[in-house]
Amino acid sequence: MIVASGLTKRYGDRVAVDRVSFTVRPGRVTGFLGPNGAGKSTTMRMVIGLDRPTEGSVTVDGIRYLDCPAPLRAVGALLEARALHPGRTAWAHLRWMAASNGIPASRVDEVLGMVGLEAVAGQRVGRFSLGMGQRLGIAAALLGDPPVVVLDEPVNGLDPEGIRWVRTLARDLAAEGRTVLVSSHLMAEMALTADHLIVIGRGRVLADLPTADFIAEHAASYVRVRTPQPAELAALLQRSGADVTRDGDELRVQGVDTAATGELAAGAGLVLHELGLVRSSLEDAFMTLTAGSVEFAAARPAEVTR
Amino acid sequence: MTAPALTAPRTAPAPAGGAGLPRALHAEWIKLWTVRSTGWSVAAMVALGAGLTTLVCALVAPDLAAGATGEPVGAFITWGLLFAQVTAVVLGALTVTAEYGTGMIRATLAATPRRGTVLAAKALVLSGTLFVAGVVTAVLGWLGGNAFLSAEGIGLSLGDDGMLRSLLGSGLYMAGLGLLAMAVGLLLRSTAAAVSVVLALVFLVGNLVMLLPGSLGEWLTKLMPGNAGSRIATPESFNPMLLDPWPGFAVFAAEVAVVLAVAAVAFGRRDA
Repeated sequence: MIVASGLTKRYGDRVAVDRVSFTVRPGRVTGFLGPNGAGKSTTMRMVIGLDRPTEGSVTVDGIRYLDCPAPLRAVGALLEARALHPGRTAWAHLRWMAASNGIPASRVDEVLGMVGLEAVAGQRVGRFSLGMGQRLGIAAALLGDPPVVVLDEPVNGLDPEGIRWVRTLARDLAAEGRTVLVSSHLMAEMALTADHLIVIGRGRVLADLPTADFIAEHAASYVRVRTPQPAELAALLQRSGADVTRDGDELRVQGVDTAATGELAAGAGLVLHELGLVRSSLEDAFMTLTAGSVEFAAARPAEVTR
Repeated sequence: MTAPALTAPRTAPAPAGGAGLPRALHAEWIKLWTVRSTGWSVAAMVALGAGLTTLVCALVAPDLAAGATGEPVGAFITWGLLFAQVTAVVLGALTVTAEYGTGMIRATLAATPRRGTVLAAKALVLSGTLFVAGVVTAVLGWLGGNAFLSAEGIGLSLGDDGMLRSLLGSGLYMAGLGLLAMAVGLLLRSTAAAVSVVLALVFLVGNLVMLLPGSLGEWLTKLMPGNAGSRIATPESFNPMLLDPWPGFAVFAAEVAVVLAVAAVAFGRRDA
């Protein structure tokens, strides 16, 4: 279990993480979701004591990372894919890490096998592709067989197969009863991987809820109708209990489906120019939620027509 | 690509001791010898130090024997160390700057979050390695150079004044210099910057202060780290102005300790 309370990191005037509090529970995958620059990495770095919080604290299973007797056995972390010396072999990299925490050397071969790198164990990691480096980072995270696993953007640089592999891995680790925190800036990826979401933007927690709730709450679909008689149709729909918003000759209807809308219009003899269901994507919901908190927002492109 | 085999057996519970100094030492030792730069640095130190000492002794032995140079024989017997010390500076700086340059430092601090433990382990492994390498270099240089000196009847034996001290002192000076470079590397976090600063301090500033007038120049010369520290590595010096071997080394050790202390504080406070 990871518990952050009032966690704050300031760099001069810039607030990277702003009074963040959350609890990451064991037995499920918790997605740490936010746009780039939202403070995900800084928060994760504070979890394992690389950065010192300006205020607040974060503990892992009740103690600060710094106070863990053998930290690699308490928390496995993938922070940066390239937190390794390019001249060292994959095996040597894991070997020194194992030695530092009293983990037997045999475990090195074990985790190399788990991530599918045993064939290149003797190669210098400078020659590794981004994906191989990412796998080695994950092997390092699993080295101490830790009850808590923290993965910062683990699918970066992975091919689709690798992405699926990480997804399965995260879910399996959680199924074993471990605490799993996975960060991403991709909502779609998190929807597939995470059971629970912590959404962060501009250093603040914007949402902390089960993924299913997030989808139900934020990704509502609606019926779109275009008609030359919008006022009449809107009144008709509202009388039947629908929620209607009008924009010129277009109506956005929630609470009734396309069939019911069409039948209502036909019954009243109203002309329809268009009738369809619009599914709002999770990515849209995420964008909406974090819209005000994107650090470097691009100029909004012309409104996308659906 | 294989499917994740997460049924792999769980490892035994952590043995007592945790991530303390002995394990950090073991980890640093593995780290040191699993990159090529270490082997190259040590090989370069031995080759440069012993090779140049042998070469210079071969060249000057006839003149020394004839008493034509006016220089003490003891000043030549570890002469190559003057150049070999560059490798100690490089190795010392790389111990930390390579980690900042590659991002490795994050893995290091994740494995051993206590910064004092990391620093102590690095310092012990580095200074131990450099001490041994420095002594081996000096001994090989002495054996090589002495072959030519003895042929002229002016060889130096271990029993001669300062000879044994300078062989061991070569190791001490290399270790101290490596630690100085490591401390500067910890402060600057850049290989090029750290190596430049230490080499400039030892070679350039150490000689330039001799040009300052009066006792100010004299004392600054005595106290500059390279001048104070290197005297222990040679039975006799070309420069009669320098402090005596052990007082000089004490000054040097104190200077290294101060820079290390500042670096340790910075290391503890700054984010990785």
